[in-house]
Amino acid sequence: MFDNSYFNVLIYAGAAIVFIVASSFAVAALARAIAKLSGATNRKQENTFAGYLFASPWIVGFLIFVVVPMAFSLYWSFTNYRIASATPTHWVGFANYIRLITKDDGFRASIVNTLFLTVLGLPLQMGVALFLAVLLNQKTHGERIFRMAFYLPVILGFNTAVLLCWRLMLNTGTGIINQIIRAVDYAVPPIGYITRAVIFIQELFSAFFLGISNRNFILLGKEWAAGFPAANRVPLWVQSPLWSKMSVVLLIIWGCGTMMLIFLAGLNNIPRELHEAAEVDGASDWRRFWKISFPLLTPYIFYNLVVGLIAMLQIFEPIYVLYRDNQPLVPSTISMVYYLWQATFSHFEIGYGSAISWLILIIILIVTLIQFRIQNSWVNYDLY
Amino acid sequence: MKTTWPIIKRLVLYIVLTGATITMCFPLFWMISSSLKTIEETSSAGIVWIPTKPTLDAYISILHNSDFLRSYFNSVFYTTLALVGTLASIAVVAYAFSRIEWPGRNVVFFLMLSTMMIPPQALIVPQYVFFNKLGWVGTFNPLIIPGYFAGGAAMVFLLRQSMAQIPRELDESAFVDGASHIQVFWEIILPLIKAPLATVATFLFVGFWNSLLMPLMYLQTIKLYTLPLYVTTLYNINVTVQPWPTIMAAAVLTTVPLMVVFFFTQRFILQSVVITGLK
Repeated sequence: MFDNSYFNVLIYAGAAIVFIVASSFAVAALARAIAKLSGATNRKQENTFAGYLFASPWIVGFLIFVVVPMAFSLYWSFTNYRIASATPTHWVGFANYIRLITKDDGFRASIVNTLFLTVLGLPLQMGVALFLAVLLNQKTHGERIFRMAFYLPVILGFNTAVLLCWRLMLNTGTGIINQIIRAVDYAVPPIGYITRAVIFIQELFSAFFLGISNRNFILLGKEWAAGFPAANRVPLWVQSPLWSKMSVVLLIIWGCGTMMLIFLAGLNNIPRELHEAAEVDGASDWRRFWKISFPLLTPYIFYNLVVGLIAMLQIFEPIYVLYRDNQPLVPSTISMVYYLWQATFSHFEIGYGSAISWLILIIILIVTLIQFRIQNSWVNYDLY
Repeated sequence: MKTTWPIIKRLVLYIVLTGATITMCFPLFWMISSSLKTIEETSSAGIVWIPTKPTLDAYISILHNSDFLRSYFNSVFYTTLALVGTLASIAVVAYAFSRIEWPGRNVVFFLMLSTMMIPPQALIVPQYVFFNKLGWVGTFNPLIIPGYFAGGAAMVFLLRQSMAQIPRELDESAFVDGASHIQVFWEIILPLIKAPLATVATFLFVGFWNSLLMPLMYLQTIKLYTLPLYVTTLYNINVTVQPWPTIMAAAVLTTVPLMVVFFFTQRFILQSVVITGLK
């Protein structure tokens, strides 16, 4: 059972520590020498030495694991570099980027899917998070237990073991979720109509997005022609391309604990007097929420939006566990990071993969900049 | 009417909260319940909430699976090694950013914060080439060593915030007594930030324990597989009837450490999530 692999890691870990200590002392000595040359006081020289000594693990790591790789990948993104390839590496200019933007259906699908999750998944996730936060903010007994329960999915959520349990639960025929839906629909017919309406709208919505990534809307037309779903219809969670993204949305909503805690902090920061004054004036709970809490929560909503959007690009584990063995479904749900992994490592096309990485970075940068630009129009910083 | 309305409101609140709690914890319940079922029960046409005759067969079979046991050991081994080094380096760097005045500190700190915008996956391609050149593909090294360089800007930030709140006079007086930075760090600062350290350790633990992408890229042989990787292979894509009880038993055993750690540290975690807003 035990072999050299474990022993080797220990040796490399030890060597890494020696390297970090040695390089930290080198950087710190260099910094002190520069401080000395620029005529700093003795005390300042000492502080410079200590500061760089303690910060160097990060500085050195930043150079080795971030700056240098990024520089190399920028260069490779303009080449046809491939690991273990017979053809020599040469400069191809913008060919990788052009292929990516104009010809690559997988990348296109990953952008459309991210858009879907942003339009549908993110608002649902934030809505549920806000709802739970408002409930918890009512100062109930056992608040800590509720808070723990709502945060637990964040700790467990992206372990493949738990995702496999979701796969069991999402099974179309025998999964517990559809069984419950069937039972409720059967017992309370009006809810059955609502279920079918939701299924209908969701499928049209998904078909529309699939249409964008496939560049034809045949499926949307078919869905529309098929009309209102039959009475016994249930969601086809991990079975149909029309539902594959919805399963991910479900997982996202389940993992809303972090957002909830942030909203809860925001609610706690709202001065009590504001609510008390409004209550004296006879404002209802509903009105007080929309007129007081919500405007003052907009900075937190903005924060969750920025962070949540970046998280949408990075969804990996759910797709791997739910759809890995069902390749036809993968394009309908693939995220940008999943696509990056798939496209790069199926043929070890480093040049192409580097171009994808850089495009993802640029997209994140642009989206974040836009968000910061338009935040003045709706985010309220009066309290801060 | 005036007196009953608040009571009804409270009642509804508790009902909704309890309902939400049950929904959020349901996958966990289902995982445990399914691990005690027979294969027929896991895919029966009717709902089997709790198995009529709970059986531990699935646990016995998974605990006799040497691949599973080895991947469990791999996970514990790699997580421990990565956690210790990463936590130590993060604490050291956080000290530099909070307790020492040095020229360039603000610039370096800003650089570090801006790396939080880069999704780590954007670096996987060039890093893979780098580790491939070093001959580290097929070893645990790429999963462990990068963390030793204070990997995780958000975690450094969290610890820095906690360290910055400690009164300056404490280290000033120690320096007057002739203490070095290393002594101040070890004997004064670290004992005062046990709770934030526990929080960071938990986040790191959860991150390492759940990690799939990095092990998937680097651990290419089943001998080195960690739990998240091995557990997915239990779902056999070539058969129609999955051994669900066994898979769920493995899932329960995989999540037990997460739940134990979360149970003991949740008090600190729930507070500090708000500070960093991360994970």
